[in-house]
Amino acid sequence: MNRRGTNSASSKFALIATLVCMGPAMAQLPALPPGAARPGGPPAAGAQLDSSGLPTENMDDSEAMRARLGANFANIMRPPLQADAPEPPPDPRNFEGTWYHEDSLVMYMARDMFGIPLPFTPEGRKVVQRRVDSIRNGKPYLNASAYCIPTGQFWQFDLNMPFNVHQSENLMELQFEEYHGIITIALDAAKAPPAGYMGRSVAHWDGDTLVVETSGFKEGMWLTSRGSSVSKDLKLTQRIRKVKTGNRWYLEMIYTIDDPTYYTQPWSYARRYAWRPDMTLFREYNCEVQTGAKDGVDASLLPEPTN
Amino acid sequence: MVCTRYLYRYALMLYLAMSGGVLTQQSIAAEPMTLEGTWKLSTPQTAFKPDGGSIPFTQKGRQRYKEDKRLQAQRKLDEYDYATARCASPGLPRLMITPERFRIWQRPSVVTIRFEWNRLIRQIDTGGLIAQKRVGQGNGGPNDEALVGRAVPISQGKWEGDTLLVTTEGFSDNTLIDDLVPHGYDMKLTERIRLRDQDTLEDRITIEDPEYFTKPWRTVVTYTRQPDEIFPESVCLDSVNLEHWPPGKGQ
Repeated sequence: MNRRGTNSASSKFALIATLVCMGPAMAQLPALPPGAARPGGPPAAGAQLDSSGLPTENMDDSEAMRARLGANFANIMRPPLQADAPEPPPDPRNFEGTWYHEDSLVMYMARDMFGIPLPFTPEGRKVVQRRVDSIRNGKPYLNASAYCIPTGQFWQFDLNMPFNVHQSENLMELQFEEYHGIITIALDAAKAPPAGYMGRSVAHWDGDTLVVETSGFKEGMWLTSRGSSVSKDLKLTQRIRKVKTGNRWYLEMIYTIDDPTYYTQPWSYARRYAWRPDMTLFREYNCEVQTGAKDGVDASLLPEPTN
Repeated sequence: MVCTRYLYRYALMLYLAMSGGVLTQQSIAAEPMTLEGTWKLSTPQTAFKPDGGSIPFTQKGRQRYKEDKRLQAQRKLDEYDYATARCASPGLPRLMITPERFRIWQRPSVVTIRFEWNRLIRQIDTGGLIAQKRVGQGNGGPNDEALVGRAVPISQGKWEGDTLLVTTEGFSDNTLIDDLVPHGYDMKLTERIRLRDQDTLEDRITIEDPEYFTKPWRTVVTYTRQPDEIFPESVCLDSVNLEHWPPGKGQ
């Protein structure tokens, strides 16, 4: 232990445990019941596999995890929204406020939102097969989450931690609790900043739907914690609108993946993010304390081959 | 008649001017000043300049400060300032002298300071969200006393005229006040943030920590308004030589 009280051993243990599961966000989950399979392990008994051994159903692993944990996975840490909570801004083009992915985490994506198997190229299938095998063998790979590098839109939005939206005439800025992530969306292409890990996002309105187009990604990205992937050649389109379902407000997002390196044709999936003004104030996510240390990212996670 | 008409007009103008003035004053009282915009330190600085010229260290505070200077001279950054060594959050109040820009988003319940450097944010609760228990554990609220402190706790703010009065407690002891000055768990910050003029933001900071300072000490920092531009993605870890990042490194 150094002078400032950083316990290297406990830090490593926490990091390994969480990364093997799904990244640092899981650090706050309660321990699994004795004898329960660890999330991120082999597919649940009875899960269907296709001819190459990849799970064929989107939800198999998520459902298995929910069964193990015995409750709605995301809401374990979060009480329901209070009845007197404020409403979102009435303007359908104003997305400001706090939103939260409270649905179960999808651990692996094999089908699009219409139930059609993903159209992998041989290269795309090879990458995801490699990652599934690495987890099955108990030797998962390092990824952006492990380093606390910006993870890409998919992982950033999916994990069950809130984000705040601020917007002005030319800018929409999404601030995430997790990884202290930021996604900036230029509403004027001429004012968009250079591309980064999160690419370069430019948006326009189609009625009350914001159409966000992002490209120029610095690295390929993991879509999910079990290795669903996109290459850096991705062109991502997100169609975002504010909708009310029953008495709940959501931001609905339809993601369209156009990545000719890993997929033979574009495909889409959908998510919704619940209105949660009670989550506006974030918990601190200071992950570089661990990952920026010389021995911060433990060798229990292996560097992923690139060929 | 003409004279009467002029008198009437004058009286009306006087009334409107006076009532307008009253309305304006009421508006100022009811609606806080907007601090929104993009700001940058007026003068780059890595240390706070205390009013009165010196920091009132306790014996322990002075020892730690000297030790930090010794480690700095030996370039053992990770032993006294691991926030800088590891790209971790520098914490408060040090974030307020980051050399890069920051943008203020001011909303009725929360003022958010979004720093360009490494995508950090600071949140100031101006709507009583913590008091209303509208936040979960880990936010620095009253239920969190037993939890570890934070580099950047949630601050509590209230408007006093044109000044945002901000108090912050609940720190960890893992960060420095600036590039050398230490603090402990019990540090308390009181800040008075206001527009000195439309293009100058002022933050008058009072620092208290009886473990390290014999009395509260004060400093003033000013910022100059910048054009509103979208910040590029900032990833400090890109400047650190991580063993296996980016993917494919060493293969």
